[in-house]
Amino acid sequence: MKYITNNTSYFIKEVKTIIRLNPLSNILSIFSIALVLFILVLVTAGWWISSEAIEIIQKEAEISVFFDESFDNQKISELIVGLEDIEGVMDTKLVGTEEAYRQMTEILGADATVLAYFDENPFVPFIEVKINMKDMDDLLQKLGELEGIEYVRDNREVLQGLQNIERVLRLISYLVFVAVGIATLVVISHIIRSGIYNNREEILTLRLLGAQKPFIAIPFILEGVLLTLGGGILALVIALGAFKLLYNQVATPLPFIPLPPMYSITNRMTYLIIPLSIILGLAGSIFGLKSAVEG
Amino acid sequence: MIAVKELSLKYPDGTVALTEIDLKVKAGDLVYIIGPSGSGKTSLLKLFMGIEVPTSGSLEIMGRQMVGIKDYELQGLRRNIGPVFQEFRLIKGRTALENVMMGLRFLELPSRELKESAIGALERVGLGNKLNSLVDNLSWGEGQRVSIARAVARRPALILADEPTGNLDKENAVKILELLTSFSDSSTAVVITTHATHLIEEGSDYRLIEMSGGRNHEMGFREA
Repeated sequence: MKYITNNTSYFIKEVKTIIRLNPLSNILSIFSIALVLFILVLVTAGWWISSEAIEIIQKEAEISVFFDESFDNQKISELIVGLEDIEGVMDTKLVGTEEAYRQMTEILGADATVLAYFDENPFVPFIEVKINMKDMDDLLQKLGELEGIEYVRDNREVLQGLQNIERVLRLISYLVFVAVGIATLVVISHIIRSGIYNNREEILTLRLLGAQKPFIAIPFILEGVLLTLGGGILALVIALGAFKLLYNQVATPLPFIPLPPMYSITNRMTYLIIPLSIILGLAGSIFGLKSAVEG
Repeated sequence: MIAVKELSLKYPDGTVALTEIDLKVKAGDLVYIIGPSGSGKTSLLKLFMGIEVPTSGSLEIMGRQMVGIKDYELQGLRRNIGPVFQEFRLIKGRTALENVMMGLRFLELPSRELKESAIGALERVGLGNKLNSLVDNLSWGEGQRVSIARAVARRPALILADEPTGNLDKENAVKILELLTSFSDSSTAVVITTHATHLIEEGSDYRLIEMSGGRNHEMGFREA
């Protein structure tokens, strides 16, 4: 294997020659790979952002438990202890009538003047319960078993809707991941096959001179890796630009959407695309070489 | 070096190229295989290079049986052979030096020795002044010299030259044959096929084998 390390600069020079001999085809290949990987980045980042947003929402999931108005403080304390014993309950807080009124005033903002039409405070006390969304079903069932609970207000439908979106995006990401992998493999193996065909005379000469298979294969494998890596970097650059634009568009007018920090998405994209490009380049080249030899 | 016994070659289309060839080549031999076109000279050399596989008989090159030889063994064997092809098989777009170095790259030589060997070989064939010329721009005779330099730079045990004088004028053809025969020494065997018997020089010892209709006939040993 010493001949491989001795010839490193030769291999790099050969790759340059192979690419130089067919520049248009190689440039178009880089663009095709970039486009395919860009789609992957978009879908995957969409999945990441939505799952992170849901996670943030889930962490802040809250239900309101309304109880029998005739309950005295003793019974309310017992109810709170009972609530805290249920798995999935993270925190509880008793909201009195005054506090309920204040909260509603905050929610209504400028429209809070409507509350002035009431002669008396129309709100009843309730218990705010922070919960873990994952345990929601069991939790609600156990709540129903507690004595004195009249009504539970939850945002279940909204949260479940978000969970469904995340599930769909995850499924799409997996499918796109597979499709992108196959498409990149096909593109790269086709490029390598064409390269082998264009250089068939040279390859035959090297074989007749006694060149080992790895010696002949290395420049083609390097070419495949270089093209996919080029496509990957291009996809990354375009995706970063697109996400910067998206963040600027979404973050200011829609501040209630809990977007993860831009740098975390950028880092994750880089860690995904660069190794993935190299792996796909390697696999595509080897596949192309194998099929060219067998063909 | 080469041991051939009752060797036959039949191509898939049914053409019989060689029939019951018997031949031995020892280290230090200079062997001319002569005969008209279609007599089987090139087919015989293809067998020696492992390009074709014998249909029957036995073929041993440097102690290795060529029938059923594994790919890595064949490549290892080829690295000890210096082939000179009729059409040169030089790699276009590269210089003379790069072409000669190409034949040395997979021999595990240190890069400095690799370059020195290539330059030495090109100087020996008289192309010391064309090291960096693209092979595309060389004349036919110069191209053949580069091909010879590539074959001998690796100091092979066996040089196989297939019609090296084809397409050359008489003066250049004689020079090429002189050059090739100069590499024959006690450790290197040189086998040259040619149909131009009148060009064979009388200045060195050689064996002459005539091919006709796919059969060989030893015409004897000529002493200088």
